[in-house]
Amino acid sequence: MTYQPPLREHLFLLRDVLAVDRYAELPAFAEAPLDVIEQILGEAGRYCSEVLAPLNGVGDRQGCAWRSDGAVTTPAGFKEAYRALVEGGWPALGAAPAWGGQGLPSVVGLAFSEMSSSANMAFSMYPGLTHGAYSAILHGGSEAQKALYLPALVSGRWGGTMNLTEPQCGTDLGLLRTKAVPAADGSYRISGQKIWISGGEHDLTENIVHLVLARIEGAPAGTRGISLFIVPKFLPDADGAPGARNAVACAGLEEKMGIHGNATCVMAYDEATGWLVGEENRGLALMFVMMNEARLGVGLQGLAQGEAAYQAAAAFARDRLQGRSLTGPKNAEGPADPILVHPDVRRMLLDARAVLEAGRAFLFWTALHGDLADHPDEAVRQKAKDYMGLMTPVLKAYLTDRGFAICSDAMQICGGAGFTEHLPVSQYLRDSRIALIYEGANGVQALDLVGRKLAADGGRAVMSFFAEIDAFVDAQAANETLTPFTEALAAAKARLQEGTLWLMQNGLANPDNAGAASTDYLHLFALTALSYMWALIAKAANARIAAGETDPFFANKLVAGRYFIERILPDADARLAKLTSGSATLMAYPAEAF
Amino acid sequence: MKILVPVKRAIDSNVKARVKSDQTGVDLANVKMSMNPFCEIAVEEAVRLKEKGLAEEIVAVSIGPIQAQETIRTALAIGADRGILIQTDADPEPLEVAKLLKAVALAEAPRLILMGKQAIDGDNNAVGQMLSALLDWPQATFAYKIELSPQVVRVTREVDGGLQTLELDLPAVVTADLRLNEPRYASLPNIMKAKKKTIDVKTADDYGGAGAGHLKVLRVTEPARRTAGVKVENAADLVARLKTEAGVL
Amino acid sequence: MAVLVVADHDNAQLKDNTHKTVTAALALTSDVDVLVAGAGVTDVAAQAARIAGVRKVLTAESEALGKQIAEALSGCVVPLMGGYDAVLAPATSVGKNFSPRVAALLDVAPISEIVEVVGADTFTRPIYAGNALETVQSSDAKRVITVRATAFKAAEEGGSAPVEAVDPGPGAPATRFVSEEILKSDRPELAAAKIVVSGGRAMGSAEEFHRVIEPLADRLGAAVGASRAAVDAGYAPNDYQVGQTGKVVAPQLYIAIGISGAIQHLAGMKDSKVIVAINKDADAPIFQVADYGLVADYKTAVPELMAALAAAGK
Repeated sequence: MTYQPPLREHLFLLRDVLAVDRYAELPAFAEAPLDVIEQILGEAGRYCSEVLAPLNGVGDRQGCAWRSDGAVTTPAGFKEAYRALVEGGWPALGAAPAWGGQGLPSVVGLAFSEMSSSANMAFSMYPGLTHGAYSAILHGGSEAQKALYLPALVSGRWGGTMNLTEPQCGTDLGLLRTKAVPAADGSYRISGQKIWISGGEHDLTENIVHLVLARIEGAPAGTRGISLFIVPKFLPDADGAPGARNAVACAGLEEKMGIHGNATCVMAYDEATGWLVGEENRGLALMFVMMNEARLGVGLQGLAQGEAAYQAAAAFARDRLQGRSLTGPKNAEGPADPILVHPDVRRMLLDARAVLEAGRAFLFWTALHGDLADHPDEAVRQKAKDYMGLMTPVLKAYLTDRGFAICSDAMQICGGAGFTEHLPVSQYLRDSRIALIYEGANGVQALDLVGRKLAADGGRAVMSFFAEIDAFVDAQAANETLTPFTEALAAAKARLQEGTLWLMQNGLANPDNAGAASTDYLHLFALTALSYMWALIAKAANARIAAGETDPFFANKLVAGRYFIERILPDADARLAKLTSGSATLMAYPAEAF
Repeated sequence: MKILVPVKRAIDSNVKARVKSDQTGVDLANVKMSMNPFCEIAVEEAVRLKEKGLAEEIVAVSIGPIQAQETIRTALAIGADRGILIQTDADPEPLEVAKLLKAVALAEAPRLILMGKQAIDGDNNAVGQMLSALLDWPQATFAYKIELSPQVVRVTREVDGGLQTLELDLPAVVTADLRLNEPRYASLPNIMKAKKKTIDVKTADDYGGAGAGHLKVLRVTEPARRTAGVKVENAADLVARLKTEAGVL
Repeated sequence: MAVLVVADHDNAQLKDNTHKTVTAALALTSDVDVLVAGAGVTDVAAQAARIAGVRKVLTAESEALGKQIAEALSGCVVPLMGGYDAVLAPATSVGKNFSPRVAALLDVAPISEIVEVVGADTFTRPIYAGNALETVQSSDAKRVITVRATAFKAAEEGGSAPVEAVDPGPGAPATRFVSEEILKSDRPELAAAKIVVSGGRAMGSAEEFHRVIEPLADRLGAAVGASRAAVDAGYAPNDYQVGQTGKVVAPQLYIAIGISGAIQHLAGMKDSKVIVAINKDADAPIFQVADYGLVADYKTAVPELMAALAAAGK
């Protein structure tokens, strides 16, 4: 079975769970009432399932090809699919109208990104990174830079990349060496080597705009001496058209485990011409604007691969006839029952659904806060920004951890057929693995959460999250149909509060306690957030059922939600127990004994 | 030149139709609906004719429930200029549809009616031909290629075993076959533009009313399901069985 | 009750579809006349007169009828309907083209592609690409019907009906025939073939499709078909497509090679009498509808099949 866009799930979230029509007064939502969103996602879904999905396996098998002159060829069909993407106007979806964008809510953009990432993760990274470059220039660029670069990036005519990593410097950007020498005309000459640059070179666009972190000669050491530069592959001429070739080249491609269709490049800068974005030595802050957006996008990749793998596994489980049901044949006329009758197969499928549905809700709910960052009400704006900061590392790490686990379970369901290359699940498993690593490894996300995001503004963000949950539980106290969900949520929140308190008491005293607790804390946080999402989903489904809706879609939500409470949420107890055990044993094991 | 394009909201072509257990019809509750694929081809062709400067206005008309507005929106997003919905919750028979479309054609006075050869639900393949007969306008069904000029349209048609080319005086009715074109995906900017285009919601009474049906559906059943047969050992075994057991060689 | 059958022919040969449509008509009444409308159709009329059970053969001749122009055919048939309770035509590209016109001009509901005559006014026809069968009862005084010929046995030869000329009608003044391009192929037409050999995406290329599928089809005297996946991938031309949006076929023998069996393909071939599937994936859905399944790579299976056919004198 090929990938089917989860249009119904998207519309249910937007219409029923998040009720986005309440934001009709915001410009982005005014442009897109729900019926228009439905049409947009329907058409986007066709593009993703009919154009991108059939190329997923092709990209995996062929990969990208590098020639000694530095040119990179993408897999067969990628160019045509990219042209269709640009002709469809999809790169402009969430971009600002001032630069040719459609200005639609980012939550709609997220739904599109989920579909394109499920259909073809390697392909979807090219426009994904372009959007990152767009955001960095939008936030930090001069008016002239915006005018020169943004329209081409928004339309998709030009691509964009992020150049951070160097051979000696990955997570720790303070070690960065690429240097920038000022030239007489106000530009800089950039020299150095960048590695693992996704989409660093390809044949999809007429120009590629590299955003490069480099150190201006004489700048302070460490992270305080890093600046951000625009280094286009072709220098724009007076009319903004691609002109002379810049001294930047792809020196080779990485061989890697997955995302073969995306060119992962070694980039060589040899006195390439670049222009400073924003202020000198403030590059890292700007790059983090981009990084936060990218981290949400990576969390989304985890979800998207999980969804695609789930779909393939569910289809396999319905069709594959092996063995008989433990309670007597369910397909008596056939040679065997479909493996879907087996409780342990259902366990894996429902694990996936329970996490995917609430995980998607969590992602959309967070992205919606991003859309509210321009809300006229200051309190709404502040909460929106707080939540974006707090939830981003949780979403990135949790959804990629679980997304990969879902891909692995999907392979388990498909058995030997899943391990062969006849089914797509092996590719999903391989492609999804990078998402736990890049844009800040999941351990780094956990540290960001406990070390930075929890403490920011005196813990304001997490306190307001707790208050929101309390208010919801109180408000629904009389709603008996929701009781199993509100009780589970209140208990989850109590555990998270206990874990948070423990961190505050023990993390400051001994930072290793915070480090040792961080991953378990992040998962505890995510399980609480997902409990909240399931309560919101159940409330919305109940409302439909109460209104006489007989479609099993809504009743099934309640079953999946109960499954979450019974069989996934108990992990929260284990997470709490682990995190409160502290770091003593962990650090006691002697280094030389490893 | 004005082109009228009738479009039908029908079950999505990727969905397998399931017969209701009470045999009263096909279960369409919560089933994904889309524009009938042949209608989509007709809309695409009309838009291409407009893009070539051969037509000024494309009017999409649909007969169906209020949700058929979405189908018209899709046509508008592909490039039609405005829409007319004749709203009805009944499922009119082809003859009634043809009569309503005749009334629309007389009111709108298009030079060309371009429509799908059949809808993938009823599979009647009849409305275009009937509309042509009722209007006494010439017809060309199963179009593979259309060359339009101000007074005539030349249509190459898919016929059994090959192609036939006809020339029709305008106004005329042309129905689209699968190979006429490959419909584009509606682009995001066009979807956004389409929401500003008008759709007039009318009733059958505005066009002379819908007549009573002539056909009574007694039952709708599932076709006899094929069951998996036997796995043969090899090619020789297969040929032997086809000759003796099946008797088809 | 009297029924008119409109013959399927090319002005030279009467097509077998006519015999099958006569069978459907004979299920309604014994008073079945056949109209041969065309140009220079004396021979065709003589062939029609030999169909057992035919009461009378009518001929109508004009230039427009010779080209089977729909307006001319409906213009010829409608005046004759004073003497008939029903008109049946095979659901060919000609029958589908003119029949609904006749219905509209008589103000009756057309009944398309029937596969069964249940009663004088009641018929069964496939809808939703054959995923459902609808049984409808007509309240019209006259019935205008097209017949899915593959669902009926051909009427026997052996009759000797009289032949009589009728008024060809006004022609088609606003419709002009320009040209036609009938594919000259030694292979039978896909929709009418007794055997169809179809290839799928497993072929991997157009060259491979030609190399593997066509010789087998030629050995069997079969038409060549393809799955939509193979057509989309450019391995086979679009008019080879068997499926919901392509051609619906119901041959005596359908051989699917390297076709997985997507719903949309099954919709186009599942009424075949005998289905053979050759696929290396034992779990391919095609095996669920195949009477005979051979789990094997087509690369070895097809040459073996050719050899086995040769050995069997085919």
